[in-house]
Amino acid sequence: MQRRQFTGYLAAAACALGVGSLSAPAQAFPERPITMVVAWPAGGGHDTVTRLLTEFLEQELPTSVVVTNVPGAAGATGVRQVEEAAADGYTLGVLGLHATAQSYMNENATALDRLEPLAVINIEPAALAVRADTGIEDFAGFLEFARANPGGIINGNDSPGGFSFLNAAFIENYFDIQLTKVPYQGYAPTVAALVSGEVMATTLPVPMLADLHDAGEVRILGVAAEDRHFRVPEVPTFTELGHGYVVTDYVMVYGPAGIPQDRRDALEAALMAAMASEAFQERARGMGLMLQPGGADDAAALMAAMDDLVYPIMEDADLVTVRAR
Amino acid sequence: MIAELFLQTLLDYLAMPQMWGLAVLGVAIGIVLGALPGVSSTMALAILLPVSFGMEPAQAMLFLIAVFVASVYGGSISAILINIPGTPGAIVTQFDGYPMAQAGRAGHALSLALIASTIGGLIGLALLVTLAPLVAGAAMSFRSPEFAMATVFGLVLLSFASGGSVFRGILVGAVGVALGMVGFDRLTDIGRFDFNTRALQGGIELVPVTVGIFGLAEVLRNMAAGPQGIPRIPPIGSLLMPARALARLWAPVARGGVIGTFIGAIPAAGSAIAVAVTYAQEKRLSRRPEAFGKGEPVGIAAPESANSASVGGSFVPMMTLGIPGDPITAVLMGALLIHGLRPGPMLFANNPGFVAGIYVAVFFAIVLTLLVGFAFMRAFTAILRVPRPLLFTIIALLCVVGAYAIRNSIVDVYIMLIFGVVGYVMMVLRLPPAPLVFGLILGPIMEENLRRTLILSGGRWEVFIERPISLTLILLSLAVILSPLLAAGWRGLRSRAQG
Repeated sequence: MQRRQFTGYLAAAACALGVGSLSAPAQAFPERPITMVVAWPAGGGHDTVTRLLTEFLEQELPTSVVVTNVPGAAGATGVRQVEEAAADGYTLGVLGLHATAQSYMNENATALDRLEPLAVINIEPAALAVRADTGIEDFAGFLEFARANPGGIINGNDSPGGFSFLNAAFIENYFDIQLTKVPYQGYAPTVAALVSGEVMATTLPVPMLADLHDAGEVRILGVAAEDRHFRVPEVPTFTELGHGYVVTDYVMVYGPAGIPQDRRDALEAALMAAMASEAFQERARGMGLMLQPGGADDAAALMAAMDDLVYPIMEDADLVTVRAR
Repeated sequence: MIAELFLQTLLDYLAMPQMWGLAVLGVAIGIVLGALPGVSSTMALAILLPVSFGMEPAQAMLFLIAVFVASVYGGSISAILINIPGTPGAIVTQFDGYPMAQAGRAGHALSLALIASTIGGLIGLALLVTLAPLVAGAAMSFRSPEFAMATVFGLVLLSFASGGSVFRGILVGAVGVALGMVGFDRLTDIGRFDFNTRALQGGIELVPVTVGIFGLAEVLRNMAAGPQGIPRIPPIGSLLMPARALARLWAPVARGGVIGTFIGAIPAAGSAIAVAVTYAQEKRLSRRPEAFGKGEPVGIAAPESANSASVGGSFVPMMTLGIPGDPITAVLMGALLIHGLRPGPMLFANNPGFVAGIYVAVFFAIVLTLLVGFAFMRAFTAILRVPRPLLFTIIALLCVVGAYAIRNSIVDVYIMLIFGVVGYVMMVLRLPPAPLVFGLILGPIMEENLRRTLILSGGRWEVFIERPISLTLILLSLAVILSPLLAAGWRGLRSRAQG
């Protein structure tokens, strides 16, 4: 509330300064700074990619784009702030699969239909990795071990709303095995637990593990994407291994539902242009991101596809507590 | 080899004026942002990250590291002068720093903090350069069971270390632990004690509580005292402490540096924990623990050394394993990745020059923070000359801004206001506020690791005594609890034997 008032004052101030009197058409958009809400703390994965994109987005728009971090409640607080903002295109955010999971777990979280996807930035396919000293050589070996010892695989993952937890639950469900799922607060502590040997396997995405894989300490067994991951091209996809297991997290830009069509188009065009920049792509790839730039339709399709995939598995794992379909 | 490269790179940097410029700029920005309540070191770096996109990798790292190192010191300036920690790493500096400044020794407090920071930072850097793999190994052997027992040890120390009545300390500490349970449970993502409101789902954040209970409460206390009660403006005093007084602090500073480095190297621990443990330990070791909280120089020197040393420590997991130890190094790692450099074991082999560049940047930043800090110390203390009514208005405003800025949430402002009142009431009731903050820091970590250990062990509690480090920590905790009893028993026996 306060925030909206404040930006209102800003707009008024901008008009008073004569910005509105420039030769732009009456309904020029955007004419004041755009807020980009990141639902995770500064310095996290979502934050870094958003700040990178924002640098290039500002070159495509006549205004600045301000990144604000609104973390809390497994991403639900930040998403809610965007949901409740005016649908005027001046408040946007980035989200991932966490928003889908939270919408079924937390009655205070935002339902997905209250949001409007604008563009996909990158995907982050699920993966499965083990410590090299487990002696597990490949995914077949992993399945064999898991079937012989139900619960014997000690897996490091997020708490239940997080992607690496969902991935672990999916793997259990899809391959009918049982893991011991040990929750950590985020990706970095999970990697530390894997390196120290507190856990023997992890369901984290590739970028966090690629170096350890190269160093031979950790073995990535499979990637749950259509294509292999460019950071570890020697690791097969689950599809290649004969299992149609494709699950991916993503980072997409979205706004509250009901942004006027012309503004949505302007934002989408600017986002696509920013992501098409050579420099952006080079830097993003340097970060190990699997870029998959896509517009509003692609974003909506990806969100819906993952929603359909996630829901039954969450239901199976007794994670659906609100908004049952 | 790394020593040679280090020297070479240092000389290279010294010969390049643009490196000097960048580093001085970074240090200046870092001190200011660090001193602003609510802008943590992490946020300072995240805000400046885009600025570094256009720089060369080595320049970008120098700039960001300068901001990082300087912000740690900046945080203690506001802690000492206005009783609000500028960054979470400065939360204990004000326990003794603020009373010291109020007693007319602001100059001593600031310069002590700066010197201790510098030495601590150098200890952290030295351990990073020489023993990084060893420190990483030690930090890695510190897993969930050890973590759980270390926090138990920390809480035990704190209950004895909070001054005055042990019982009051434990009581307040327990309230802090309970407050840490509000919000999403860390292991199951289920909301607890949130009364099903949205406001409390995100939990009670450390910064608004600290800002309220220390900063706003102090404003309220002065307001309640009325116009007659307004204290006269304290003199700033001389800047430099007598060398002899400084020299007597070498042991706490060294201990703080080593503990800070080690705790900084444990992924997900962070400087707030480093200073909490250091402060509790120094108070326990001190021959006059009753002086702590009233302007005891050790209470500034040891934690300041620890929070700066944790900078070097936090680089250890990043440089050796490619894991960010805390959110701050995560931002730095993000900056490296954007420049196409991937920290980790491979970086040492493939690009030793760059590794040396990072070490030199830390060194450069520490030394420049010392110089810039001293150069502007008089200017910082000018804030104390602001007329009291105006100063307290500004502090109250900073409390609100700081609480809001930490995660852009108005709820945090309400929490800050509530804890401002709580802090004032606690002052009236003579309850020590520090244990509440410690409970809030250590409680969630203890719970998370205790429960995770039990998941890993399949519910077996024996695991805590089967692991040597964990067992040692349990024995130490028991020793602290039982030593007064045993001492009393021993005296009793002796007096009976003599009688």
